[in-house]
Amino acid sequence: MKKSSFSAALCTVMSAAVLLAACSGGGNKEASETPSADSGASASSSPAAASETPKDAKPTEITIMLPLNTSEAPPDTIKNELEKLTNTKLNYQFFPADTYEEKLNTAFATGSLPQVTYLKNSTTFLQMRSAIKDGQFWEIGPYMSEFPNLSKLKPDILDNTKVDGKLYSLYIGRPLARQGMIYRKDWADKLGIQPPKNVDELFAMAKAFTEQDPDGNGQKDTIGFADRNELVYGAFKTVSAWFGTPNYWGEQEGQLKPEFMFQNYIDTMDYFKKLRDGGYINQDFAATSKTDAVNLFTSGKAGIYVGGSMQDIDSLNKDLVKNVPDAVLDAESMIAGPDGKVQQWEIPGYNNVVLFPKSAIKDEAELKSILAFFDKMMTPEVANLMYWGIEGTHYTVVNGQAKVSDNKELVEREVKPFKDSVIGEAETNGMFQPLNELPGRIHVEQLIIENEKAGVKDPTAALDSATYAEKGVELQQLITDATYKYIYGQLDKAGFQKAIDNWRKQGGDKMIEEFNASYKK
Amino acid sequence: MEDTAVQPEAAIARPRSGLGKRVWRNKWIYLMILPGLIYFIIFKYVPMFGLVIAFEDYKPFKGVFGSDWVGLDHFRRLFTQPDFWNILANTLILFGMNLVFYFPVPILLALMLNEVRVSFFKRFFQTLVYLPHFMSWVIIVSISYVMLTMDGGVINELLESLGMAKINFLLSPEWFRPTYIIQVIWREAGWGTIIYLAAIASVDPQLYEAARMDGAGRFRQIWHITLPAIRSVIIVLLILKIGDVLELGFEHVYLLLNSMNRDVAEIIDTYVYTAGLRQMQFSYSSAVGLFKSVIGLILVMAANKLSKKFGEEGIY
Repeated sequence: MKKSSFSAALCTVMSAAVLLAACSGGGNKEASETPSADSGASASSSPAAASETPKDAKPTEITIMLPLNTSEAPPDTIKNELEKLTNTKLNYQFFPADTYEEKLNTAFATGSLPQVTYLKNSTTFLQMRSAIKDGQFWEIGPYMSEFPNLSKLKPDILDNTKVDGKLYSLYIGRPLARQGMIYRKDWADKLGIQPPKNVDELFAMAKAFTEQDPDGNGQKDTIGFADRNELVYGAFKTVSAWFGTPNYWGEQEGQLKPEFMFQNYIDTMDYFKKLRDGGYINQDFAATSKTDAVNLFTSGKAGIYVGGSMQDIDSLNKDLVKNVPDAVLDAESMIAGPDGKVQQWEIPGYNNVVLFPKSAIKDEAELKSILAFFDKMMTPEVANLMYWGIEGTHYTVVNGQAKVSDNKELVEREVKPFKDSVIGEAETNGMFQPLNELPGRIHVEQLIIENEKAGVKDPTAALDSATYAEKGVELQQLITDATYKYIYGQLDKAGFQKAIDNWRKQGGDKMIEEFNASYKK
Repeated sequence: MEDTAVQPEAAIARPRSGLGKRVWRNKWIYLMILPGLIYFIIFKYVPMFGLVIAFEDYKPFKGVFGSDWVGLDHFRRLFTQPDFWNILANTLILFGMNLVFYFPVPILLALMLNEVRVSFFKRFFQTLVYLPHFMSWVIIVSISYVMLTMDGGVINELLESLGMAKINFLLSPEWFRPTYIIQVIWREAGWGTIIYLAAIASVDPQLYEAARMDGAGRFRQIWHITLPAIRSVIIVLLILKIGDVLELGFEHVYLLLNSMNRDVAEIIDTYVYTAGLRQMQFSYSSAVGLFKSVIGLILVMAANKLSKKFGEEGIY
């Protein structure tokens, strides 16, 4: 009796599992097929579009796959306008950004990538390199000159996206160096501290924020830095750049070497060790998530935040004033190292790229018609539509700058998915700059321009190393672990050196060799 | 039930009347099996074919058939990986802790819940202990973080107010395993009681009455009636649990993992993620996954054999 009830339970569970699997499978299928059904129905509406542009009777049909950073696919508001402006029939396939890599990999593995394929970020781009070299994607370099708007794209950044010196992709631009420190200006003013001009003054600020009770509640419950378990997009890399450490790789005696073989890297570790030992940074930062680090700052407990981008100041400010109404934020990035020089690390200047798979684009003519669409996307009219939405509905123009509508949900739902796909940047596609109202944010925009003058590039951005592609991430973990252990005092200099030796033995030496060989070419 | 079904069949059936006929007669029952069968074929057996990439240098654009054959290279890479034995040991230790510390908890909890006689309270406590199961690991780990952090965490504040030194729970390797197992118990113990409670519910009440007549107290009743009655359920669940030997919950461990505790916290799953998937090393990750499954299979077979040796039924 007992046994049969057990198996009955088992049956129930199993059939539930089948149902679930069936549902989720069906759901996916629907999601991926809806757009194509859409495009089929659209055939009847094409004459209307054609009448507007008599020159080109039939609108170009383009299928575009891209990551979606919002919770649901947008309505067709922007898409309809876009189709009218560009005389195209667009078939957008949005896939959630969280699982986009999987989608990309499966579509790629099964040869079903659409004509226009957005990648997820620069990492997925690196991973596609071998496929690009194998000739899976169209080389677009030779056609660029035929398109006046596309040829405005910045040559430096295009160079960063080249594979073996050839251009295969269009890029979605981002400022080269957006990082710096965001701090509590009200605390600094209260304690009579000037914005830090060098790393020592920064240290002094963290110390004062910890020890001198900047929030004036009579308790020692504040700290300087709020940091997280991330050496690159947390505070470490930004501060290490101020110390003069190269950007991932640097040249020494004519040879490329990884950043952690430079003395500046060790100096930075010592700096963080001192910060931690003094209690001027959250003690658990090696185990703190981004959310928790941000909470520490926006709850008014910490006074300095060095995250990935200074542009975060808007959202930090929004959350902070909820907890501390009279808080004031400001940013600083011109912080000199011990030798008095200011240096910033640069990203390659793009956030994502677009590739054109040969499996979906049959011939040159088709490729050109698709590039023509992107060429139109780089006109101010189209770029504004995609980036800011429809004027009057999603934004208004104030002093030649775009002011986003107060209805943030509407903008998020209708515009954001397209915003993330705009090629180039305001300087190249002529779209409106944002209207910033927060004084700290206005300062940030000036600092970003300053940052670029002091920027240091990653020399390996366009170089190749087979070992790096195979186990670069795994090997980097060795160094990351050793770095934290050093900061936490569990490793001394000799121990850190041993970790480096280990890195070299397990493939690092080969990586150095390969990058240098590629560098000399 | 079974008896009545067998009788007429024996009477009517002509010798060797054919498999087809018998299947046809029970068509509705076979039809009910169908969805389950299809599920297993599509979602469990077909993907197994993909395992061949563990022996290939798989390149997506070349496909499973076009990729080069490399034999056991990926396994060689795994076994010669310097941290391999450490990772395997961590996996097995966490599994052992699961077995020793987590496994008995739902049983004890079920026995305790069973002793709660007032039906309202019983339901209330049951719901209470089920709840954590519905929270994701991210939430469980975040709540723990808030409690354990050095910067104002409740537990460290408490330690400090008692005049003791703060403990860096999140970063010290020696605190990783206790944290892990407590979180597992916290989240899963209540949910795990369901099956035991069901088993206990089916115990014949007359047995308890008889025991009471003989003067057995509550503990005696539990020891001599309840526990033996649910013994086979315990064994089946134990074997199933062993089958999951290396399924320690990737998400959970990955969330707890950091640079300071990696020596004790890196398990096969997290290693597959960093070394394999993040770098598109599909073949290598498949090889590691296959290795993991083989260990699981061996352990299940051993456990099953052992349980049969002790006179229990086992799972197959």
